[in-house]
Amino acid sequence: MSREKLQKLGIDLPLFPTTSVGSFPKPDYLMKARGDFAKGKISRQELEEKSRQATEFWIRKQEELGVDVLVDGEMYRGDMVAYFAERLRGFEEGGFVRSYGNRYYHKPIITGEVRWEAPMTVVWWKYAQNLTPKPVKGMLTGPYTVMDWSFNEFYPGRRETCLALAKEIRREVEALIQAGAKIIQIDEPATSVRPEELQVAIDGLRTVTEGLPAYFITHICYGAFELIYPGMLEMPVDNFDLEMSNSGLDMLELFKRHRFTKDISFGVVDVHSHVVEEENVVEKRLRQALEVLPKESIWVDPDCGLKTRTVEEAIAKMQALVKVAKALRN
Amino acid sequence: MELILTNHSSYPRIGDGTDHQLLRRTIAQWEKGEKTDADLRAAEDRMTELALGDQIVAGLEIVTDGQIRWYDTISHLAGKLQGIRINGLLRFFDTNTYFRQPVVHGAIERTKPLLVGDFEFAKGKSSQPVKPVLTGPVTLARHSIEENGKAGSFERLVESYTAALTPEVAALAAAGAGLIQIDEPSLLKYSADLPQAARSLKAFGAAKGSSQPMLAVYFGDATGSAKPLALGLVDGRNTRLEDTRTVAGQLEKIGRCLGSARAWLSPSCGFEYLPRDRAQLKLRHLRTIRREFLGSAE
Repeated sequence: MSREKLQKLGIDLPLFPTTSVGSFPKPDYLMKARGDFAKGKISRQELEEKSRQATEFWIRKQEELGVDVLVDGEMYRGDMVAYFAERLRGFEEGGFVRSYGNRYYHKPIITGEVRWEAPMTVVWWKYAQNLTPKPVKGMLTGPYTVMDWSFNEFYPGRRETCLALAKEIRREVEALIQAGAKIIQIDEPATSVRPEELQVAIDGLRTVTEGLPAYFITHICYGAFELIYPGMLEMPVDNFDLEMSNSGLDMLELFKRHRFTKDISFGVVDVHSHVVEEENVVEKRLRQALEVLPKESIWVDPDCGLKTRTVEEAIAKMQALVKVAKALRN
Repeated sequence: MELILTNHSSYPRIGDGTDHQLLRRTIAQWEKGEKTDADLRAAEDRMTELALGDQIVAGLEIVTDGQIRWYDTISHLAGKLQGIRINGLLRFFDTNTYFRQPVVHGAIERTKPLLVGDFEFAKGKSSQPVKPVLTGPVTLARHSIEENGKAGSFERLVESYTAALTPEVAALAAAGAGLIQIDEPSLLKYSADLPQAARSLKAFGAAKGSSQPMLAVYFGDATGSAKPLALGLVDGRNTRLEDTRTVAGQLEKIGRCLGSARAWLSPSCGFEYLPRDRAQLKLRHLRTIRREFLGSAE
């Protein structure tokens, strides 16, 4: 069903399309440039030049590896929520909050009505898409996750906050579509953390996507899927990008009990491990997926964004999954 | 109703000012071998003093050391016990904060004091009584995995953690702790664990000496207690400052239902989920709320 939708959008993909979740590691020169920019040593233009250089590196690398649906690698982003919070009206940058150990981040604070003022990702999407004839995914963070990973001092409750954000994020989706994006991924990693709020996340995504002409993917990770499945299938997207390998493919058991009704971007390599999976491990995972899911519904990708791996590890992991997907096509 | 102002447990170990970045900087340098263990200890001491200072300036009557030295709520204690090694990161409840998971590979044993040294340091630096905080056995067990785990191992795990922590309770009491807080956030998620928590608290009760144990539950809703309560009416998970009158109204209502003439007013959970500037504001807000409550109660 979704493959027809893709064809209508003018996108023809092979069996087992390969892709990645979104982020790739930033090369050393970009990390240094980001540090220098934060210290005021280089200008924004100089930083953007380095970000473009790294984006082109990853586009070329994905083409070289034979990936089917590309990403810009998020070279211009730091945190996946803060990036949008810095560009939407109604947010203030909060002070440092601990993530774990000695890692901290600026958690945004909603202090007023949230407002989309101008495109936030379109320039980068256009830049990446102009480098390649292959489709590049538009990449956004969803309203539920932006709400959950921010403080809220303005809206009366979590649902109201999520829906207000959804209305504004929809405008970014519209801008991406207008620029030519056909495949748009809206990440909602926070969805599986509070099962009792699944409906809030569903309603948020509906507000973002309803009636818009694009193939929508959502990425969800880190959570108790058994508590939100099969309810999560109500999310108005065409494809779920799921972290399968890190949890030993145990979601397949859930899919046996209740049919998985959408396309799936099936995570076949663990992004939390430095070890690059052997091709036979990746193939075994994919064959296990084929026992439960129709082959036309399966996309192949890593569990999650690869940004925490080294450049070499990320390339090797992508290479392994592309090789296996291609071999299985035949 | 008499209201005692207390901190809950953790406090931000960082802030936006350069002096508040000391520990972060020192840990990063220590990891590269550029700072010694003694440097790290000194940075932890300094940040602990700053956390105590914030609480005392805000007018709190019972303070904590802010758990400045803790890597996280789980692995800091579990990692000091024999028979446990610390594994990868997992999300802590529905927060966007992560802890390292303990892997139990042998008999759990306390071979050295866990928190007594930290408590004594904080006590020596504070003009107000310091409340040590221990993560409870049920919460530790719920966040651990057992290597080659066998059926029914969860209960055994709780018992093992209880046996390991009981002498720590005794040691803290002997070191002069008047109140000892046992954090069991898992109880609000797994209410079936209540009998096990009760058994471990009973064991702690037998070791408490003259100290008063205090159970802290959070990240969920709890109702009903015949015992004196610490009321977490200041939200430790959101920066919005509570409306003073609203909270005073809540206190009045609760006061009418309570069997006790004394209660504690505290944050709803540790403050390390907030940025430092907001945590400071909320600490001071505890006193403003009490003033409003006492004014309206008169």
